[in-house]
Amino acid sequence: MNRPKADEDRELVARTQAGDPHAFDELVIKYSPRLYGLVYNMTANHEDTNDLLQDVFAKAYKAIRGFRGKSSFYTWIHSIAVNMTLNFLKKRGRRFHMSLDDVDAGIQSDKEFLQLTARSSPVREADLSELQKRLNEAMMKLSDEHRAVVTMFHIQGMPHAEISKILRVSEGTVRSRLFYANRQLQNYLDEFRKNPVS
Amino acid sequence: MDEFDDKEIATLLRLKRHEQPPPGYFEDFLHEFHRRQRDELLRQPLWRICLGRANEFMFRLNLSRLTSYPAAVAAVLVCAAIVSVRVYQEPQRANFAARQQTTFNLSAETEAGLSLASPVAARIFSTKPLRSSKSGHTHPRNSGTPPRYVLDSVPVSYEPTVRF
Repeated sequence: MNRPKADEDRELVARTQAGDPHAFDELVIKYSPRLYGLVYNMTANHEDTNDLLQDVFAKAYKAIRGFRGKSSFYTWIHSIAVNMTLNFLKKRGRRFHMSLDDVDAGIQSDKEFLQLTARSSPVREADLSELQKRLNEAMMKLSDEHRAVVTMFHIQGMPHAEISKILRVSEGTVRSRLFYANRQLQNYLDEFRKNPVS
Repeated sequence: MDEFDDKEIATLLRLKRHEQPPPGYFEDFLHEFHRRQRDELLRQPLWRICLGRANEFMFRLNLSRLTSYPAAVAAVLVCAAIVSVRVYQEPQRANFAARQQTTFNLSAETEAGLSLASPVAARIFSTKPLRSSKSGHTHPRNSGTPPRYVLDSVPVSYEPTVRF
């Protein structure tokens, strides 16, 4: 995913701090799809994502006057979103309804999707939608912190350094969490391959 | 049958980018955000709204920067204190100087009386400062007659303040 330009963000933040509410609207428009993906893949529920995202922007709007630009707006807003989502997940516990099943039609033209289904692999042998469903279930079996790292690295395409800034942990911690999460996902999916009915 | 490797898992995860909200969601999102902001504003008590407005006003005046430099603020306060103390002490120093000059003139007058130096020069030198001093104008002795120094009398400051 392309990272937004920092200069544009700086200008929009300055305008918001000067009292221009339309500048913050532009930031909302710019960041809501990206943050939606982040929160959605962590919560696995559309309604929760919507509420959380509204709260994230409301909190950011209140706190933006205190934003001094030590980090980029991108890092700052992502930190707010991740921290609020992790707090929400702790409160929610295991009681949730998964709604991660709305795959966009654009997937059919995705180059990676075509490559994945063309070559001989376990993916081709299984029904893709079923596989995606199992992957989502596997994701939800990860701890919240591991899921956050997987979401940011694999789905959002963020580099390790950026993730470490957002989570305020070392890059080594990010890498070790990723390694552990990948192993976990691999085990869950292999289990599904061996017992597809379960 | 092969096992899932890291690459395949990564690819599968990347495909999750295509999981999108219903069409038109992001267009409505901003309207929903504005609606919630307004609702929240209406739910707030009046004092909190006033506090928020005052905070905003202070922020626009950029007064918050002053609080971030406590050393500068402290320095300004110390300077102000020193200046005010000096201003307060200034008249006392003038009095002290006048008294010193009075003493000096007194000795000069005495010396002039005893020595053979020109009495005109001594008189000019000795009378002017006494006329300009504040106490000289207010004292009844100095009002009409030329100044006369009595060495064997009790100084004015030693006299009791209240007389019946």
